[in-house]
Amino acid sequence: MSQIAASTNDDGNLVEIRDVSFQYGTRTILDNLTLGIPRGRVTAIMGGSGCGKTSLLNLIGGRLRPSRGQVLVDGQNVPDLNIRELYQLRKRMGMLFQHGALLTDLSVFENVAFPIREHTRLPEAVLRNLVLMKLQTVGLRGARDLMPWELSGGMARRVALARAIVLEPMMIMYDEPFTGLDPISMGVIAKLIRELNQVLGITSIVVSHDVAEASLISDYAYLLGNGRILGQGTPTELQQSTSPDVRQFMDGLPDGPVPYTYPARNYLEDLFGENGR
Amino acid sequence: MKMFQSLGAAVLSTIERLGSAALFFFDILGNSWALVKRFYLVTQQVYAVGVFTLPIVLVSGLFVGMVLGLQGYNTLVKFGAAQSLGLLVALSLLRELGPVVTALLFAGRAGSALTAEIGLMKATEQLAGMEMMAVNPVMRVIAPRFLAGVISMPLLAAMFSAIGILGGHLVGVGLLGVDSGAFWSQMQNGVDFRDDVMNGVIKSVVFGVVVTWIAVFEGYDAVPNSEGVSRATNHTVVYSSLAVLGLDFIMTALMLGDV
Amino acid sequence: MTNRKTVEVWVGIFVAAGVFALGVLAFRVGNLTTTDVTDGYRVEARFENVGSLKVRSAITLAGVRVGRVAAIHSDPDTYQAVVVLNIDGRYKNLPTDTSASILTAGLLGEQYVELEPGGAEEYLKEGSRIKLTQSAMVLEKLVGRLLTAFIDKPADNK
Repeated sequence: MSQIAASTNDDGNLVEIRDVSFQYGTRTILDNLTLGIPRGRVTAIMGGSGCGKTSLLNLIGGRLRPSRGQVLVDGQNVPDLNIRELYQLRKRMGMLFQHGALLTDLSVFENVAFPIREHTRLPEAVLRNLVLMKLQTVGLRGARDLMPWELSGGMARRVALARAIVLEPMMIMYDEPFTGLDPISMGVIAKLIRELNQVLGITSIVVSHDVAEASLISDYAYLLGNGRILGQGTPTELQQSTSPDVRQFMDGLPDGPVPYTYPARNYLEDLFGENGR
Repeated sequence: MKMFQSLGAAVLSTIERLGSAALFFFDILGNSWALVKRFYLVTQQVYAVGVFTLPIVLVSGLFVGMVLGLQGYNTLVKFGAAQSLGLLVALSLLRELGPVVTALLFAGRAGSALTAEIGLMKATEQLAGMEMMAVNPVMRVIAPRFLAGVISMPLLAAMFSAIGILGGHLVGVGLLGVDSGAFWSQMQNGVDFRDDVMNGVIKSVVFGVVVTWIAVFEGYDAVPNSEGVSRATNHTVVYSSLAVLGLDFIMTALMLGDV
Repeated sequence: MTNRKTVEVWVGIFVAAGVFALGVLAFRVGNLTTTDVTDGYRVEARFENVGSLKVRSAITLAGVRVGRVAAIHSDPDTYQAVVVLNIDGRYKNLPTDTSASILTAGLLGEQYVELEPGGAEEYLKEGSRIKLTQSAMVLEKLVGRLLTAFIDKPADNK
């Protein structure tokens, strides 16, 4: 039940989530969620495991349908689109999956070339230059003939990033881009996300539970928990928040609103209860 | 009471899966038209599916033919009908063994490979990635493999039967002394194009459709982790084999009934 | 990713081999070339009993196949079996008094129609009727006749 922080007119927000609820089976993942992703900025979505961050990305990308509410991307309500319109919209969205999701039977070059080959009829020479330029942006032009299994985790994600930007999308969604990387690779990815946003003006949504890195690169952040927004603001504002939910997450406290102890019976009862007095 | 409950649940979930498999089948067919312009995708899969299954089909065909020669001779010679060996071998292969054994080999080798490949693509989010790049994975990944299976099966079955007949000839004429002329002439007089050869081809096409359909569906529907993929591969081999044997009976009954 | 050329070559070989195998099976193993009766004409013959004669059973002349049975049905008025014979157009010189018998291939084999030409000057053509027919031998009746012959013989001692 929070308010959208940035201005609510469509000029300000590329993506708007309005009163969205989403269930997985009987579990409620998102409960009446409302938030906005401002155009041309880097927005972080943070939260513990299972709080619905990835589901949110899938709702925006149209792979999931909300049980109620609207998911507006550039003015269009995603759940209302038919297959053709959805595919048209997806061409303007880029998504970076957690492990890259590169096609394993294609080389690095072919992977980046894939969207161009599928959606355009560009001549081979133009295609080649386009691919090489994008690879250069992520610093992997020399790796173009390697196969996906020859790449480290960080390199694979960079290639996937090059592939995501090859058709110059209006926005990119990053699903846990820092998870499982060494500090150097993390730094590389963070630099790329920031640069792509500043140089190309691509709206970026970063889903992460790495508080430090996400705070460094984002302009605005939402903290999700229990299907709702626990806190929001610029990274500085969140660092200074006094809300116990926000504090526990930002400081990494083992016990707090998210309890350390899994609900159980009284300890003494459990140990000695059945075995006599 | 619990037993009935779980039985009911199992039946319901089977029907649900069958329904989603049927919808998937129509989805594949719908997406197959786009491949006419991009036939190289299908060709690639015929290579992966058909050409790689060829060695095991040829070797098995040879051995089956040779065994038929041995067993057939053994029994026919008791009735003084050893000259009909060629006919026996040809009919057994064309009508039954060719399509059925090839289908079982295909399910085990190509079918399980398809399931594993597609399941793995699902588990590593490659299919999801494709969707987000606005490429329909059913058109790009599934349909070419399905068409490749349907095209390859009848060709493989024909080659199985052909080499099996050669194997039968090798053993019958070469080793056991059946007259070569009688071997071929009895065969040519007794084998009917429509009833035997065509029916065998029809069977192999039907088997191709069913086995490939099960293989791609199990892969696409697999639980996206290593255990799920392994279980899906298991399903493919078991269900395909049962389906082939069951359909074989039904088709044979229909085909013989007509005559 | 395997070279595109290699893939196409192997697939081409594979498909060619498969089609070749199919061809061998159809023409060399089966009898595709001789299945169809070309330019045939239809002739009718009536039998008391057709035995196990089937549609598409062979019609032979001096042991050579000259046609196939096109249809078999029963005439409700005369209680006879009507067999329609489809004779290949190459054999247009069958006299109108040709006889048709239903014989068995081997001892227990399938049945076929054997034609024996007569000596008439006119030839059979489309729609003609063969008048002289010999029905199929039914095993039970044969055995019955054999038995009655043995029973009669002793009593015949004069």
